[in-house]
Amino acid sequence: MDPLILSFAVVNGVLLGGIYGGVALGLSLIFGVLRVVNFAHGSFLMLSLYIAFWCWSLLGLDPYLSVFVTVPAMFGLGYFVQSVIISPLIRRERALVVEPLSALLLTAGVFLVLDNLALMAFGPNVRAVQVDYYLPSPMLGPIPLNPQRLIGALAAVLVALGLSWWLRHSHMGRAIRATAQNRDAAALSGINVPFVYAVTFGIGCAVLGLFGSLIAPFMPISPSIGVAFGIKSFIVVVLGGLGSIPGCIVGGMVIGVFEAVASQHITATSAAIGSLGLFILILLVRPQGIMGRA
Amino acid sequence: MNTRTITATPRSAAGLPLGALAAGLGFGCVALVPLLVDDPFLIHSLIMVLFFAYMASSWNFLCGYVGQLSLGHAMFSGVGGYVSVLMFTQLGLSPWIGMLFGGLLAAGLSVLIGYPTFRLKGPYFTLTTIAFAEIVRIWVENTNDFIGVPLKGAEGLVVPAAGDSLWAFQFSSKTPYFYIILAMLALVMLATRLMERSKLGYCLKAVRGDRDAAEALGINPTPSTLAALAISAFMTALGGSFYAQFFRYINPERNMGLELSIDMAVMTIIGGQGTVAGPLLGALILTPISEMARSHLGGGLPGLHLVVYGLVLMACVLYFPKGAIAPLGRLAKRLTDRRGSRP
Amino acid sequence: MTTTILDVQGISKRFGGVQAVKDLSFSVGKGEILGLLGPNGAGKTTAFNMIAGYLRPDTGKVLFEGKDIAGKRPWDVCKAGIARTFQLSKPFGDLNVIENLMVGGFCRTGDRARIRERAEWMADFLGMGRQREAEANNLTAFDRRKLELGRALCTEPRLLLMDEVVAGATPSEAGEMVELVRRIRDMGISVLIVEHVMKVIMSLSDRVVVLDYGELIADGEPQRVVAEPRVLKAYFGERYVQSRA
Repeated sequence: MDPLILSFAVVNGVLLGGIYGGVALGLSLIFGVLRVVNFAHGSFLMLSLYIAFWCWSLLGLDPYLSVFVTVPAMFGLGYFVQSVIISPLIRRERALVVEPLSALLLTAGVFLVLDNLALMAFGPNVRAVQVDYYLPSPMLGPIPLNPQRLIGALAAVLVALGLSWWLRHSHMGRAIRATAQNRDAAALSGINVPFVYAVTFGIGCAVLGLFGSLIAPFMPISPSIGVAFGIKSFIVVVLGGLGSIPGCIVGGMVIGVFEAVASQHITATSAAIGSLGLFILILLVRPQGIMGRA
Repeated sequence: MNTRTITATPRSAAGLPLGALAAGLGFGCVALVPLLVDDPFLIHSLIMVLFFAYMASSWNFLCGYVGQLSLGHAMFSGVGGYVSVLMFTQLGLSPWIGMLFGGLLAAGLSVLIGYPTFRLKGPYFTLTTIAFAEIVRIWVENTNDFIGVPLKGAEGLVVPAAGDSLWAFQFSSKTPYFYIILAMLALVMLATRLMERSKLGYCLKAVRGDRDAAEALGINPTPSTLAALAISAFMTALGGSFYAQFFRYINPERNMGLELSIDMAVMTIIGGQGTVAGPLLGALILTPISEMARSHLGGGLPGLHLVVYGLVLMACVLYFPKGAIAPLGRLAKRLTDRRGSRP
Repeated sequence: MTTTILDVQGISKRFGGVQAVKDLSFSVGKGEILGLLGPNGAGKTTAFNMIAGYLRPDTGKVLFEGKDIAGKRPWDVCKAGIARTFQLSKPFGDLNVIENLMVGGFCRTGDRARIRERAEWMADFLGMGRQREAEANNLTAFDRRKLELGRALCTEPRLLLMDEVVAGATPSEAGEMVELVRRIRDMGISVLIVEHVMKVIMSLSDRVVVLDYGELIADGEPQRVVAEPRVLKAYFGERYVQSRA
């Protein structure tokens, strides 16, 4: 195979994979702290894509500027979902962690409601944002980089770094990590656990708000896009290790490169089956993922 | 929960357990419906309720008793449907025989998948079942021809009309389908009842409660769970064959998609997992909602019934974690207690 | 002590760099109550789990009635005739008392009526006859502990392994538990108890073995063992022994 085409595929895979990783960050963070598998993860991304779309279509707001709408809106929605829907469950459970299946069912309910409300409100049609300016493509040697994907991938790395730094050094970040380690001990040390949970959920969703705006310029938008990204995020997070932030970005890039290179050789169908197969294999053989702790 | 209490089973004067009597009466009454009313729409709706009750019961046979959430059961339904339809169109075999082959294939497949998968816990197990089912669905959806067998991809298969024939599992009236699915439901509920009281049932419930403790009591979790899984997959596949014969059409989206798996799981959970009547109750609550949203509101609001599912599911997880059957069971117990039938 | 029912011969277990149990040998006589003692972290629970089939010993043999059961899985160990309880009791929360007990019974037979009869008898034996229909989730901690004991007995063992019988129990509950264990022994079942509360084990055991840092440091009658300098050192430290000397 032509090395140029291969390296083009790899570079593109890294960029797209970075975005996958960025999208999956929230899922990993929420699982790491709350031990809740958020089945509605993709639905939140779908919503923020729609917000970005309507901001552009109705208000004429550039998708990149709609970040100022999507991020606070998704933070608010995440905060709301956690404090109103999930926290009664956590309060009911006497055990240290929520029974993972009940939480999964609850978020599956949120997924059903959000996805189908979107279907009812917006219909199954595919929409797309069209910006009327042209971003120059930077070159990496002989390979042109897609500017919009480059922005997304860079944002993913920056958000991951920023989030890790913040979790490590800020007061709130320490409270979040303490709560993740042991909820009851954190509560005994004066940490407002319900608040920490709600903020964590909010941050997880705010990250999705950001990526909704960043990928809106090149992503066709439909109600079912949430499921597609949701499944991909699960694969990425399991690959990188549930709860690991750097693992998320690495896992995303592995999947991105795998898909990009595989699509050169085999059909998209086989590639999709391949990544699901990889997902199963990782869960069976190394459930803590590449970067996760055993 | 009290509903699962097996002590001091209240007995009627004839010596039959009251529960069995009530179940017999209930099924008898339902069986009379086609004789009394002649409304194809009503019969159709009842068939759908019974079908989903059957599917949910098959799901419950495994998942309700071992406490694992499978969202991959639609795969077994698809296998059953495709095998019986293909055996009919390609080999001219009666669907009655084809569905048994489909069931056996699904059971075999389930054991192959279940053996490595059952070590996983909670959400990991659930995600893996989704992944397996999606692999099969995506493969069928994109395969037109597999070693000479025309799968016809996403387009799906049509069962050629063969007139009113018991042999071909095709009837011009809906009533025979009604009795078939009613009998199937009665069988799966009876099987669940027998399993619940047998050694297998106690093993599964023990594994659900605490795996280590179950092992300490002489239970090897693997054969028990695999046996229940194989039976559950077999029954789900029979349901898939029924569905294909009833609509004389089958496609990957409807017959092996994630939505069908969610239907089976959600109905059971809302009705009451790990109980004989829970899945039936769940189907009674949810199927009319989806049928109404589909027929009365036309195609105008395509996602409405799923929004309602989602809301009911959330309410159930939060307020009735044991399903709608729990408060009913308490009521029934209070009534039987008042009759003074307890020793 | 007439005949031996359990003979542990030189079992060892290493976790990474930690030698949890080192070349441990001891035996349990038929009809005997043997206490396995040692300070926290001495390797008691590791030894216990190797006998019960939850851990595979790196070396050594575990002979039960003359047959080596080392490395067998927990369910096979149970079927061989050894039952166990857990340090933190693990009842099947959404089953009631009778159903919990019946799970144990299915280990020996499929005869539901017989199992049920035995479960009813066991509930009375445990003093839980009035709670037979209570869900295990709604029982007190001590009742759950008793339930777990009863469930183990329903598997009709010849040797019962108990991990920490009285941890967290009130004095009167501890007394009740001691009485239960004695009655179990009187039924002809040998008992091996892991415990770090000295007082209980002294009054209950016929004989004790003491572990420290994974090694056997004493084996004998409770009163004699408790006076041994090595045992005192393990429990109270070097200084205590010197000051008494």
